[in-house]
Amino acid sequence: MPVIQLFWDELERLVGRGREEILEKLPMLGCDIERVEEETIDIEFFPNRPDLYSVEGVVRALRGFLDVEHGYREYRVEKGDWKVTVESQVFEVRPRIVSCIVRDIEITDEVIRSLMEIQEDLHWTIGRNRRKMAIGVHDLSKVYFPLRYTAVDSSFSFIPLDFENVMSVGEILEKHPKGKVYSFILEGKDRFPMIIDSRDEAISFPPIINAEKTRVTEDTTDLFVDVTGFDNNVDSALNILTTMLSDRGGKIEEVEIMYPDRTEITPDLEGKTMTVRKDEIESLLGFELENKEIELALGKMRFGVSKSNTEFEIRIPPYRADILHRWDIIEDIAIGYGYNRIEPEYPPTTTIGMRHSWNEIRDASKEIMTGLGYLEVITFTLTNERTQYEKMRRKFNADCIQVMHPITEEHTLIRTDILPKLIELLSMNRHHTLPQKIFEVGDVVTGMKNRLRLAACSTHSRANFSEVRSAVQAVMKELDLEWGVTDCDDGIFIEGRRGKITVEEKDAGVFGEIHPEVLENFQIMNPVVGFEIDLSTIFDTGIVL
Amino acid sequence: MLSPLELALLKSLEIGRRFSVDEAAELSGMKKDTVFKVVQYLKEKGLAEIETRIIREYSLTEEGKKYLENGFPEEKVLRLLDEGRALNEIEKEIGKKEAGIGIGWLRKKGIVAIEKGRVKVKERKPFEEREALKLLERGEAFRISDELLRVLLKRKLVSIEEHKEIYVKILEIPEAELKEVISDLTPEILLTGKWKEADFLKYDIKIPSEDIFTGKIHPYERIISECRKIFLEMGFTEIKGNYVQTSFWNFDALFQPQDHPARDMQDTFYLDEYVDLKDEQVEAVSKTHENGWKTGSTGWGGEWSLKRAEQLVLRTHTTAITIHHLANNSEPPVKAFCIDRVFRRESIDATHLPEFEQLEGVVLDRKVGFRDLLGLLREFFLKMGFEDVRFRPGYFPYTEPSVEPEVYVEGLGWVELGGAGIFREEVTLPLGIKDKVLAWGLGIGRLAMLRLGMKDLRRLYVPDIGWLRKTPVISSKKGGK
Repeated sequence: MPVIQLFWDELERLVGRGREEILEKLPMLGCDIERVEEETIDIEFFPNRPDLYSVEGVVRALRGFLDVEHGYREYRVEKGDWKVTVESQVFEVRPRIVSCIVRDIEITDEVIRSLMEIQEDLHWTIGRNRRKMAIGVHDLSKVYFPLRYTAVDSSFSFIPLDFENVMSVGEILEKHPKGKVYSFILEGKDRFPMIIDSRDEAISFPPIINAEKTRVTEDTTDLFVDVTGFDNNVDSALNILTTMLSDRGGKIEEVEIMYPDRTEITPDLEGKTMTVRKDEIESLLGFELENKEIELALGKMRFGVSKSNTEFEIRIPPYRADILHRWDIIEDIAIGYGYNRIEPEYPPTTTIGMRHSWNEIRDASKEIMTGLGYLEVITFTLTNERTQYEKMRRKFNADCIQVMHPITEEHTLIRTDILPKLIELLSMNRHHTLPQKIFEVGDVVTGMKNRLRLAACSTHSRANFSEVRSAVQAVMKELDLEWGVTDCDDGIFIEGRRGKITVEEKDAGVFGEIHPEVLENFQIMNPVVGFEIDLSTIFDTGIVL
Repeated sequence: MLSPLELALLKSLEIGRRFSVDEAAELSGMKKDTVFKVVQYLKEKGLAEIETRIIREYSLTEEGKKYLENGFPEEKVLRLLDEGRALNEIEKEIGKKEAGIGIGWLRKKGIVAIEKGRVKVKERKPFEEREALKLLERGEAFRISDELLRVLLKRKLVSIEEHKEIYVKILEIPEAELKEVISDLTPEILLTGKWKEADFLKYDIKIPSEDIFTGKIHPYERIISECRKIFLEMGFTEIKGNYVQTSFWNFDALFQPQDHPARDMQDTFYLDEYVDLKDEQVEAVSKTHENGWKTGSTGWGGEWSLKRAEQLVLRTHTTAITIHHLANNSEPPVKAFCIDRVFRRESIDATHLPEFEQLEGVVLDRKVGFRDLLGLLREFFLKMGFEDVRFRPGYFPYTEPSVEPEVYVEGLGWVELGGAGIFREEVTLPLGIKDKVLAWGLGIGRLAMLRLGMKDLRRLYVPDIGWLRKTPVISSKKGGK
């Protein structure tokens, strides 16, 4: 989530309220304050509110929330004679373009910085790293209308931003710093999006780089903004950018986008309307509200209300990209009303609580094991082939779950057995007093499904087979199970000192003296005995979704 | 108080009589070393005396034995003189050296004198030395005069050895100590009833004994149990799910757009496995993503990929389980909870783990709203021991409205503890869930850190046995609860 830095003097001046009030109310608008300094404040806004990624946007929201300015803010879009023709070649690569003209804006360092920052943040959030949406900002005086938005082949050449020489599209993708970072978006394509002006010169190669010739400088007064992509995310981004520049004092002019089959006029800063019923508001929030209260809350959140009675006709500001559904507006009513003013009430829903049998069996196992003097441990279920099988003298279990992009060699699969985790743990605890008796009752995963296992280990200088057999006997007795023992060939144990636990002729576990080679693999210098019981084989562990 | 050994020695020796250590050892059945030590203690307590004596033992030397058998040189010389032999003849007979010794001693004793070159017997006297050697041989050295002993020693006919002998004398046995003292109570003592006449040895209760360690529940599991108990008390049903889930249940069913950053390989453990999904619910979810379906939402636009939904993941949250449970139990009222392991593709450090426990609760009912959600949260945190709870707006992709509850912790201030909200209609309607769902969850590790005063989450899953042993089952110093 982007963290934006705002300057206090600017913020206080533009909002028209003092620092203390802003600091107190800001979190109740929906954000996390990351850091407060003498001159600046760092704020993390939620990813659904890209309109708050600039000081203009924050000021707009705060002026409403702090009752400086109420309700919907109108944005004027002047007529203009600017045309962009969209050619069908580009439909396959990046079919949509929207744009606007911004006039009479004073381009200070501050504005350039703010523009670059919001562009970056919008690229990341709405644009998903420029994949879905990319923005280009140009000096209007260098752009010769009408424009064509088309697709070219890789030999098409122009001077890209920050370079002095002509480069082909192919070269840009390979050598230009931005080309290298974003070429993945155009991977596999043989045609590339390009905005070309009436002099047949490129002004932008979306979503990679602008042309050097339209670079915005301190002498720039008028801007041309293009936003390309696939769907209405481009409109959201353009609206956020346009309203922000309008708030800065820029005059917005419309651009005609001509597709082969239709014409769109952008930007559209009219603001859509949505109707929300009062009873739905009250039902979702769980309490009754006066119409006036609802209107006040909506106004604080900068919505317009045109009709209100049993339902509200609500005008959504054009920069609000997050309003997908009526409930998004109802949440804003709650925020505008104030979360702190809502009196919490315990829900009337009466139901009877029920434990899951998985955990009932687990709890019973814990009671037995602690009764036998064993200490409960918890370990990670992520592990690796070496610890789980090789060092245990066991064969790889093909039923195990392997993750696709492990972060470390230590965590490549989910355990199919707990005993190896316990032996590993004993190895890490060699410096503590013996005897050590530990157990874990928890999940393993085989064949995509969780199973409940109980495993235990005991180590001290005289740990032996009869000790572990006694423990297994005690556990099976307490679980009220008839059980038998058969020979087993589990390499983790010493031959002749190992057994398979069977319940109703099903294999349900193993026990024995751990093989010295395993101990050597873990530098354990005392005998270890252990067992592992598959409780899922024995018991019905209930519904596992 | 006397020790059992002291008492045993006192009882086996007669009062006032002197015993050597050997004798005392035999009488008491103890080793000599032990007797010696015990006597020292008794002496310190004024109950015994120790006497050290030096014992001399005389014995015949080789020369002494030879004289006794073959006669003393002076005896031989005198006999030959009596036979009238001249000095030079005597010297010839027994050797010049022996003749010299013999004449020397005879003159010294005044038996002979040398007059004008001739040896003349003057007076007869008994040879005391012979008698003395005989006495020595019989071990009756005490009959020999000190003067004579000195002579024999000087003549190297007798040797002397000295050694110390320790004697013990018991002075008294204190009246009170006469009773038997029991240290270990044995079945035999109980059987014979001997304890009735006996006293119990009083131990030094201040000396610490060997450390032993209890088998016990992991402190984190104890906190989890406590949370489960709270849920059960509030009437929630416990549910359980597999670690491996389809992307559908983990993401799509929760209206997470397919290009959402949280779905990146960066943050999620994917498996290279797919399962077939195709039913009405999947169809409805698909349309909701694309255009909102019947939910009144705009949806996310774009094309929804079934293939992406079919890919398996290690679940990134337990909401994958609660939503599945609600889809299967869509009629209100439902109250369910789940506390279980989730996975995130994160590098391990003190506050980030690739797997950890999450707690999650949902309420499905008709007449509940956001205010009831806040009530539920307040009650839950109150039961967890947090008295001050406040609510701030939050954002989660699948809830609307969303809220971030914060609790007040002494010394830390307001701490964010999880998130909550009402499931969006884009989530509930396609799955046929019949009404509003209040949902909340929290990373329970954070709770554990607050409770256990820990700074490193790794400690929970990579347990140090020493730490487990010293973390008490219940803390009297626990802050809050």
